[in-house]
Amino acid sequence: MAILLAPAGSPEALHAALEAGADAVYVGLKGWSRGGARGELDGDELARAVRRAAERGAELQVALNTIPKPRERAALLAEIPGLTALGIRTLIVNDVGVLATLRRRFPELSLTASIGCGAQTAADVAFFREIGANAIVLPGTVGPAEAAECAAVGGITVEIMLHMVEEFVLLGKCAMPSYVHLKPTAMPGGLPDVMRQTGSMKRGGVGACFRICQEPWELSSADGYRAAQLFPSRQLSRLGDVPGYLAAGVGVLKLQGRSLPPEQLKPLVARYRRAIDAARAGARPPAFPEPVLPPSWTVVGR
Amino acid sequence: MEPGAFELNTSVSNLRHLRASDLGPYDAVYLGNIYCRRYEGNPLERPTELREAIHLVREEGRRAYLTTYAAPRNDTLPVLRAALAVAAAEGAAAVEVHSLGLVKLVRDEFPELPIHVGNFANVYTDAGVEILKGFGVARITPASELPLDEVDAIARAGGIPLELVVHGKLPLGVSEFCILLDHERTWGVPCPELCQREVFLRKEAWGLKSVGKGILSGRDVCLLEHLPRLVAAGHRHFRVEAVSESPEYRRAVGATYREALARALAGDGWLEARSWETLAAHSRLGLANGFAFGRSGMDYIGTEAPSTTEWRAR
Repeated sequence: MAILLAPAGSPEALHAALEAGADAVYVGLKGWSRGGARGELDGDELARAVRRAAERGAELQVALNTIPKPRERAALLAEIPGLTALGIRTLIVNDVGVLATLRRRFPELSLTASIGCGAQTAADVAFFREIGANAIVLPGTVGPAEAAECAAVGGITVEIMLHMVEEFVLLGKCAMPSYVHLKPTAMPGGLPDVMRQTGSMKRGGVGACFRICQEPWELSSADGYRAAQLFPSRQLSRLGDVPGYLAAGVGVLKLQGRSLPPEQLKPLVARYRRAIDAARAGARPPAFPEPVLPPSWTVVGR
Repeated sequence: MEPGAFELNTSVSNLRHLRASDLGPYDAVYLGNIYCRRYEGNPLERPTELREAIHLVREEGRRAYLTTYAAPRNDTLPVLRAALAVAAAEGAAAVEVHSLGLVKLVRDEFPELPIHVGNFANVYTDAGVEILKGFGVARITPASELPLDEVDAIARAGGIPLELVVHGKLPLGVSEFCILLDHERTWGVPCPELCQREVFLRKEAWGLKSVGKGILSGRDVCLLEHLPRLVAAGHRHFRVEAVSESPEYRRAVGATYREALARALAGDGWLEARSWETLAAHSRLGLANGFAFGRSGMDYIGTEAPSTTEWRAR
């Protein structure tokens, strides 16, 4: 049966997500997640979060979705026994090398290939199954019909990020911010010789993205044409497609937004909870009179 | 590869550009446009034209490589299978993939085609190389963001040759939107001609190049004066990224690099002043090193070409 996987960037957000009916919640481990420092939990917070989720019968998943340099990898791997000791069983990763290394070293873990891995096709799903991923996250731009083709691969859980911001450049295919500005910064926790590549979408965390795609640009051509140019982006909400995704065999319905404050996260999760429950009961999708989040909502700081 | 040998390759988006290009400086050519299915005459969508393009390249004694879409969807896979079948039948020397799913698909369905993994596949570490080695991958272009010291370390540890973009507009992003389509009416230029025009995006000192669904660096990444370092590190496969450039750019820049690479491999790092003049003449916004030295992609580190790094609006 498909589950609802909600984000949380703080203990308060975790509480809100659980209250709203999330079956599982994902959080970032301080220093090692693409959410940036604002949306990560330290070790003590993580221990409390695991207990709190367990009390609600929910699973806590941990995102380790930056890509460490080879010499930083040992520091990342050193974190894993502590996580498993807390009862963490599912890690979300962003790099094939990290995924394969974790699979080899920690066969008991469930590993999810993050949306940042850039998978969009059934062929991608088959690849990640072969290298040992237990689950793969597809963007919400992949509709129910495509998701069904991906789920048909079998042997791996297909997750859909059905509430997300669709940026101009596809997730996992962007090096624009670091092209104009790259600022290596020390890792939270003061790990020696480990630098977070602030500005890199893959290694630095989107929380530190310089958001150049949200700047106004001037487009110009050699023949003299000039125009203002904004890169298109939109909030993608596939609420109406929940029944379709469930019928497609998608195993996890996931929401983006580790940067969301609890007061925004709670109604968002509740809305999807109601939609899933209605779909399971064969009822009509619930009607919502107004958007939970303002149109300007963005998860760039996710 | 024989001692002293190297490969310099380039990219060509369609048959028309291929016919207009002098392939003299190159050993191999990547055929196809990775960004858009509507690109004019994209051979990925046209088996007959792909067949002819492969023949043309091979008749000139060059290796023909097929490239593939940077961000395929399920409905693209049948099209790519057809292109791969043509490539295999016509003797293409390899296929470049930017999607990890295509690594598996090519290995399983077209095992006769060597696989080159492209920069959009996001190979960042030796551990990533190790996985792809298990799929029989023959060559990898590492992620654009990697500095050379990490590239070198991956090359030493991974056991698969790496291909490096030594010159041209560095690929920075792929989209499912075409930003140029919005300008079709006001500009008066129709698709698919839009993305063949030279279009830059500017904001203060920043510059990017748009090819509609793709974003490239505005400055030309240039590693000319660093070729001796690349050669000393053992790299032998180099690309002039020219997917959005003119045939004259492809010829002139290729010739400059061919000469410089031959010298570098002979232990002579000397560069003629005319080399810089050629590169400067073909650069619209100046030169940069990309991410080679751990700085942002627009910076230029070096001593030979400081004047060409200045922002020049032409």
